[in-house]
Amino acid sequence: MKPRFDAFVVGMFLALAISAPSDAARSLQDYRYFRSLSIDMQGRVPTRTELTDFERTDFDVDNWVESKLSTSGYEDRIRRIYLDPLRPALSTIFPFVTSVVLRRHSIQVEGGTTANVYWRNGQRRKRDSTDGIFCLGEADTGLKFPRTGNPTGTAKPVTKAILDQYTVKVKPWWLYRDYASSAPKDLYSATTWATKYPNFAPHPALLTEADGSATTEIRVCKEEAQTAESGTIYKSGRTTTTTPADRIVPLAGDTNFAITNVGKPIYCASDTAVTNSADCGCGVGLERCSPGANNGFDPSGFVLPTKAPLGVTLPVDVGSTAQSEWTRFWWSQEVYEFIARLAREDRDFREILTSPSTVINGPLAQFYKSYQGSTCCGQGASFGYSEPQSLFDRANVPTDLLPHDTTTWKVVSDRGPNAAGILTMPIFLAKYGSRRARAHAIYGTFLCRQFVAESVELTPSTEPDLTKRPGCSTCHATLEPMSAYFARVRESDWTFLPKENFPVLETKRCNRSTPASDCRSYYDPAFTSDAGAMLLGAYASQTNADLGPRGFAEATVADPAFAECIVSTVASSFLGRIMVTDDATRLSTWKTALTSGGFRMRALIREILKSDAYRNANNLNSTLWRKEEGP
Amino acid sequence: MRFEASVLLLMLACSKTPEPTPVVRATSTPVNAIPGHESLREDTTHKEGPRLMVAETYMRSYLAIFGGLSPLDSQAALVGAGATRDNNLFDRWADYLAALGMPDYKSDIDRSAQTNALMVAAFERTGIALCDRAVENDLRGSRPVDQRIVFAFEGGPEVASDTAFATRFDIVHRTFLGYPAELAPTTNRTSKFYNLYKQAKANQTAPDAGRFRLTADEAAWAAVCYALIRHPEFHFY
Repeated sequence: MKPRFDAFVVGMFLALAISAPSDAARSLQDYRYFRSLSIDMQGRVPTRTELTDFERTDFDVDNWVESKLSTSGYEDRIRRIYLDPLRPALSTIFPFVTSVVLRRHSIQVEGGTTANVYWRNGQRRKRDSTDGIFCLGEADTGLKFPRTGNPTGTAKPVTKAILDQYTVKVKPWWLYRDYASSAPKDLYSATTWATKYPNFAPHPALLTEADGSATTEIRVCKEEAQTAESGTIYKSGRTTTTTPADRIVPLAGDTNFAITNVGKPIYCASDTAVTNSADCGCGVGLERCSPGANNGFDPSGFVLPTKAPLGVTLPVDVGSTAQSEWTRFWWSQEVYEFIARLAREDRDFREILTSPSTVINGPLAQFYKSYQGSTCCGQGASFGYSEPQSLFDRANVPTDLLPHDTTTWKVVSDRGPNAAGILTMPIFLAKYGSRRARAHAIYGTFLCRQFVAESVELTPSTEPDLTKRPGCSTCHATLEPMSAYFARVRESDWTFLPKENFPVLETKRCNRSTPASDCRSYYDPAFTSDAGAMLLGAYASQTNADLGPRGFAEATVADPAFAECIVSTVASSFLGRIMVTDDATRLSTWKTALTSGGFRMRALIREILKSDAYRNANNLNSTLWRKEEGP
Repeated sequence: MRFEASVLLLMLACSKTPEPTPVVRATSTPVNAIPGHESLREDTTHKEGPRLMVAETYMRSYLAIFGGLSPLDSQAALVGAGATRDNNLFDRWADYLAALGMPDYKSDIDRSAQTNALMVAAFERTGIALCDRAVENDLRGSRPVDQRIVFAFEGGPEVASDTAFATRFDIVHRTFLGYPAELAPTTNRTSKFYNLYKQAKANQTAPDAGRFRLTADEAAWAAVCYALIRHPEFHFY
């Protein structure tokens, strides 16, 4: 049956030739349709003014819809469809607490004053009493310092000479916009920066000295204040780990990596550098470090929106957060902006998985440039991996974004050869920490498939291959090869494991006859033989392991179920119900609309909004339907 | 004993098979073939309940109706300040999000796609706050129509006749439900709401009525507003 609204519009044009029709000609169904469109395209009910416009004789609904397809309301609408299943946000359950964290101690200074001194855990120093921990020791302060928490002992004032010998004053990035200049002047102001750089607000404790005065510069341990991009690998000469009387934190001996590579250069923005070089600091203005207002494990750092369902510019709650929240918060926003861009520019929707591009702002630029290497490389150094090869090549990070640029979003057209849509974004990799969780999330969200176990009794088995183990194989025969695509991305991490250092089949160090102690971090003992050791997670498909996330993205979008899933998911969201077999014809039509236009979402949305199924989605019952004489 | 049982078994085996009971099967009949239904149109469209406005849309609609304030600014206005401060009227948006059905991605809590008792209570709580503040903003003094947020009609809260009520009610009806009251699918909606208005006013002027910061006429309009912002047609589409 032809919808009444179309009939009305045609009739209206005919009537216009004679006289203007009255406003009363709009039917209840027309009003409801317009209200539905407003809710879906503007995210709210229509205003009285919009209703008045709608009642005008020359109002064209199609034009109105078209105009709304390029608004933020439409971006929100499309984004919500995919945010709901992906849920790209993390709580403190994922503590991003690495060597980027600057903690601080309050130290008594001669003359009766107190100084806040910033430091970072693991920082190499050439004094045994302070190597790896706070830069002032028991001899200086009377206190023994733990890695986190309060020091123990009886405090004595530090002399000015000692303080100046081991610490320096710095004008850091969280206090100065122009922190990279030789004489920074653009000091943080709560009133003006709130407008210029919304959501950039250091924790109040970072802005105030112990005596209550405003902080204009901070005191930091000398090693942390170093600015070089690269340092040299340091060897202390200690062969064993001991705990001297003036420390409560053990003093580590040299690692094999340090012994083997002493004196060689090392890139400073990695955890390996922090723990192996005494001349790698936090960089210019401490930009490679994240400030904390105390010596807790994850100290307070910034004031941020804690609840913002309408977007970060319209928070419903703002509060002090741990320093790690600064990073997690902006990770989430990267996905928000990335999907919004796909909608705004009506890009090929397959890019959500395949695109090498992304959109980042200042805090994210800081993360990709300075923080992302802080989870690398651990025991990977034993495999010759000490300089991170990132999913987002830091060389491609825009250089003109500063950490304060919270509202300036820039497109990075190519993150690097290993990047693939949302699959290689930190929020996805951290939210879905395991290889299987990552594969499952994509399988469910973009192929609309679920793993349903068959009804079989699980019997004890020693079969390590889950694609073969009875009862497990029902799901894992599919899941394991998919999860293999993520074998080169560390679990609960974004560190990439390059082929050169980590071949899928390792034959030199990790085969069974001569296993190295650090092999288990990267190679699976269950799939190790004299022939070699299998990279963790790669056993079900060595090919997929080498193809990486980008290979998974390509395979997913090439699956016929991908387009069907998009259509079904989007239609379900707009119609407010699951799709059923009765919908087969319309789903097929909509799939054609989507795919024939190169997976442009607007083509699909236009078709849905004009369909009878959408117009009549609130057709409550047959009685009403008959009363209105139309479906 | 064994012999008798064998004979009995033999007798049963040789007895005539009973006639099967005929099965009466209902045959499928098109609805218009049923006498008296020849002209009845058949609705074969897929039937689902109406769509619930998602929590974000509810908030955006709420804020738009309340004058376009940000969530935090609207929160301050709803709680009030000085003499009009009333912490019992509104708490914080953050306290209502979960009840309104908002998802919490951090905690992996999905959005609520269906209403529940807590959600309905949150609709009521937030709705009443909006209506009370709108009454105070719009119906006191001589605020111009273009500065009114809900009660965008000329004059104060007093209503002289059912005709005067109908004109004013239509504006409020359109604000919340998006169409003229005369098109309402239920019969006599305007007169029903006028009865509500009169009843609320009478309740407020009754000798045993409790103290309320709104006048009787204001309270009557607030009651009309409560009914509309909690109306199923507002929350569903």
